[in-house]
Amino acid sequence: MNTLRAKYADEIQAILAKYPPEHKRSAVMPLLYLAQREAGYVTVQAMAEIAEILEISITDVASIVGFYTLYYDQPHGRYHIQVCTDLPCALRGAEDFLKALCQALGVEVGQVTPDGLFVIEEVKCIGACHRAPVFQVQGDGEIVFHENQTLETALAVIEALRQKAQQEKEGTA
Amino acid sequence: MGKMVTLTIDGQVISVPQGMLIVDAAKKAGIDIPVFCYHPKMEPVGMCRMCLVEVGRPVIDRTTGQPILEADGTPKIQFGPKLETACTTPVSEGMVVRTQTQVVAEARRGIIEFLLTSHPLDCPICDKGGECPLQNLTMAYGPGESRFQYEDKMHLAKHVPLGELIYLDRERCILCGRCVRFQSNVADDPVIAFSQRGRALQIVTFSEPGFDSYFSGNTTDICPVGALTTADFRFGARPWEMIPTASICPHCPVGCNLTLNVRREAAAGGREVIKRVMPRQNEWVNEIWICDKGRFGYHYTESPERLRQPLVRKNGRLEPATWEEALAFAAEGLRERSGVVALAGGRLSNEDFFNLYQVVTARQGRAVLYSTMAGGDYVQRYGLSGDANLAGLGKGDAVLVVATDLHEEAPLWWLRVKQAAERGATLIVANARPTKLERYAAHVIRYAYSEVLEKVQSLLAGESPEAQALAKATNLVIFFGQEGLSLEASEALATMLARLLVQNGQAERPLSGLVAVWPHANTQGGWEIGFRPDPDLAHTLATAGAVWVAAADPAGDDPILAQALEKAGFVIVQDLFLTETARRADVVFPVQAFTEREGTWTSGERRVQRFYPAVPELENTRPDFMIVAQVADHLGIPLVGRSASRVFDELARALPAFAGLSYTRLAEVVEQWPLVGRGDLYYGGTVYENTQGLGVRLARMSAGAELSEWPAVEIAPAPADDALYLVPVVRLYDQGQTLVPSHLLQQRMARAALYLAPATAAQLGVQTGERVEVSAGEWAETLTVYVDANVPVKAGLVPRSTGVPLRQPLWVRAQRAVLEPQP
Ligand code: SF4
Ligand code: SF4
Ligand code: FES
Ligand code: FES
Repeated sequence: MNTLRAKYADEIQAILAKYPPEHKRSAVMPLLYLAQREAGYVTVQAMAEIAEILEISITDVASIVGFYTLYYDQPHGRYHIQVCTDLPCALRGAEDFLKALCQALGVEVGQVTPDGLFVIEEVKCIGACHRAPVFQVQGDGEIVFHENQTLETALAVIEALRQKAQQEKEGTA
Repeated sequence: MGKMVTLTIDGQVISVPQGMLIVDAAKKAGIDIPVFCYHPKMEPVGMCRMCLVEVGRPVIDRTTGQPILEADGTPKIQFGPKLETACTTPVSEGMVVRTQTQVVAEARRGIIEFLLTSHPLDCPICDKGGECPLQNLTMAYGPGESRFQYEDKMHLAKHVPLGELIYLDRERCILCGRCVRFQSNVADDPVIAFSQRGRALQIVTFSEPGFDSYFSGNTTDICPVGALTTADFRFGARPWEMIPTASICPHCPVGCNLTLNVRREAAAGGREVIKRVMPRQNEWVNEIWICDKGRFGYHYTESPERLRQPLVRKNGRLEPATWEEALAFAAEGLRERSGVVALAGGRLSNEDFFNLYQVVTARQGRAVLYSTMAGGDYVQRYGLSGDANLAGLGKGDAVLVVATDLHEEAPLWWLRVKQAAERGATLIVANARPTKLERYAAHVIRYAYSEVLEKVQSLLAGESPEAQALAKATNLVIFFGQEGLSLEASEALATMLARLLVQNGQAERPLSGLVAVWPHANTQGGWEIGFRPDPDLAHTLATAGAVWVAAADPAGDDPILAQALEKAGFVIVQDLFLTETARRADVVFPVQAFTEREGTWTSGERRVQRFYPAVPELENTRPDFMIVAQVADHLGIPLVGRSASRVFDELARALPAFAGLSYTRLAEVVEQWPLVGRGDLYYGGTVYENTQGLGVRLARMSAGAELSEWPAVEIAPAPADDALYLVPVVRLYDQGQTLVPSHLLQQRMARAALYLAPATAAQLGVQTGERVEVSAGEWAETLTVYVDANVPVKAGLVPRSTGVPLRQPLWVRAQRAVLEPQP
């Protein structure tokens, strides 16, 4: 059974309506977003379902997931801590900052923390070069910038997010 | 031909058709431009930059529109500031191309150096080593040394199974995209694709099973490196150790041209064995492709189950015997009895059929073709003719495909019909269920199995849009099969289709005609020589004085025929294996496989083609035609039996359609385009050049008298409301004796099952995986159900050659099978 289609029938219809029926394969991008929103990443099952909806091969869908860095084919942390290490930031110590942050959290770039909450990513310029070290947190549908960071301030941000998640879990949020 | 364009390449002036790409024009002129991503059978993409050349064009005076001339009166040529890709640039009038200059050499050197930055260079253990475009072009143009850091090489997975058939070595892949483009554009199975980007770019498959395509093996031929290899051949041999022999695929009526690669092998006790099967170019038949059944389905010839000794029945048991004993015994059995019936299957060669026919007719016997499909005589009179090539079909032409699933039954015809549709021919597909070919059809005719004849008759009546499309086509090629048809109904179908060609005025045209989608490679050959199917085979066998079976296993296919055979007076069997029929025989002769002997087959398009011996025969076996001649000799009937070519000469003398043919004539070749299989493997891939024969199409027989009315056949109506029409359908990978020994394909082989429409399954109260008992009179089977929305209602589809004794469609009663309570 196609669970995506069953759960999001209307939304999928609305997406498909934007494209001429003979080019419905073009709807692959929004459908992938939908699938990623649903599970946090694009599951193989979701790829198969999208392929079925669009009448293309699952391999073609997977190829698109693989091409775009913002589609994930593996479970990812709820929060993406994206540290810029581009040249201007590097000159302001971003590389050391990143290393220290990884050490403090006990993970490498790209790895998810054991609680499943955070993943550290290295990114290119995010437009705040003069306030490096800088990172943005992507998660819960928003993007938050944190500038002029030190290891301590960064850990505080992370701790706050962790507490938020904990409270949610205990139902005290 | 269209307009010609004259240009100069490396000082050589040539004229080629307008629109041709520089790379192909150069090839025509004998000038090699190295390529990786370009392939002459696919659209160019310009991805690899290996083909860069200097291109100059005449400077045109804008005011006069005339070329500006140099002082010496030659046109002034302006070269571009940058090199251009010869694979994407079409030729133009007055163009000047330089492929041998310093700049070009530097560009090539640069590209090779880049490609090698992450190439493992494991040529010594690479299957492609020795026939590798990258290796060859590196030798020819590469720098020999790299300026890049060795430590920075990417290391990627080296044994990635893309399914069980094809392996990927990610390090070796140079990302040319040929495989992906072949699968998307040629095979239309987009089951492999690129994932990731930059240096992490790689080929992936997500289909189930992996790399799910009948054409997958072809990607290993066109891959310009050793990145794609077949599980069958990888690490099997080095290309230069193998001896190539021309052959023909034994598996379906297309008759794809093959090259068998053979090597002596320590592991086989020093014997020569087949290491791999490769396509051989024949632009009239398979171009440069073959399907995976042809590529991997040769292992039956080396099965340990092969018969190695004649057997003779003594005191009720089959005992080993010498050839002399067995031949004498067979002759004696025949001499004592009248009413001999030869029952021959479509795997025999023309020579085998011919000799068998000679003997049985000399004994006033009957030559019966073991087949449940008719129409071969119509193909003789209304088939394609002369040099007609399906590749010639395009705009204004039409192709009609009736009662067959070409993708499963004859994959290369599927491919060629698809291509005809893509070139603009009107494709009309008629079947009771959807098939893959319908994607390209302009019209789809759907019918209930029982209505097929009425539907085709209505095409003759001419009112429908389909009928009009057929009527106005310049050329009309009709492929017809037997899905859902009895022998009598298929006879009626063939008659109607021949009538359609006559009525539309297409029957006389060379590129119009009937093509029968037979179950075997040489069923058409059987028809040509005079064998005919028998609608009441059981009766014929049961009342025969003697039955002489060759390349057929009636007892294994159908218990009713097994019983009939028990009643026959005397049974001779010639086969590769100890079949159920052989077990019931009085004499069994072990025959040679097609890889061990010479012979010819007649394809469904009536092209007679030669196959050659590639490996020494299995000891103590003989070719079918020779066995027949030797038995005949004991009976005092003189037949040629020493060499296949001499039998063929006799045949050519006896049969008008074969007049003038000989083995020499069949071995003739002409130059084909694209040029492949020469020293420049980077261009076409590792497909073999055809040097041993393109074969010859048989002359069309004269139509003779007016076409008779077709027999009034009525497909039996449903005996009861809840009856199910059980239809055997063809799956490419079945459980036939000539495929099962190819273990590699096991996972993909069809199993005995009953495919039902959801509504039918619901009516019976069953789901996928549950079992249903189907029965008709004494005939009963219990089958596992698969619910499939593509199956017509009230029909049950059963894959052929999977062990279910169903040769023809049958009305049955069906009910859910109740499991016996365990005691
Ligand atoms: S696997 Fe071979 S054919 Fe496919 S992209 Fe890589 S090098 Fe090209
Ligand atoms: S299409 Fe038919 S003849 Fe060609 S390789 Fe496949 S099975 Fe053999
Ligand atoms: S370089 Fe880091 S934010 Fe611009
Ligand atoms: S760019 Fe021309 S062959 Fe690859």
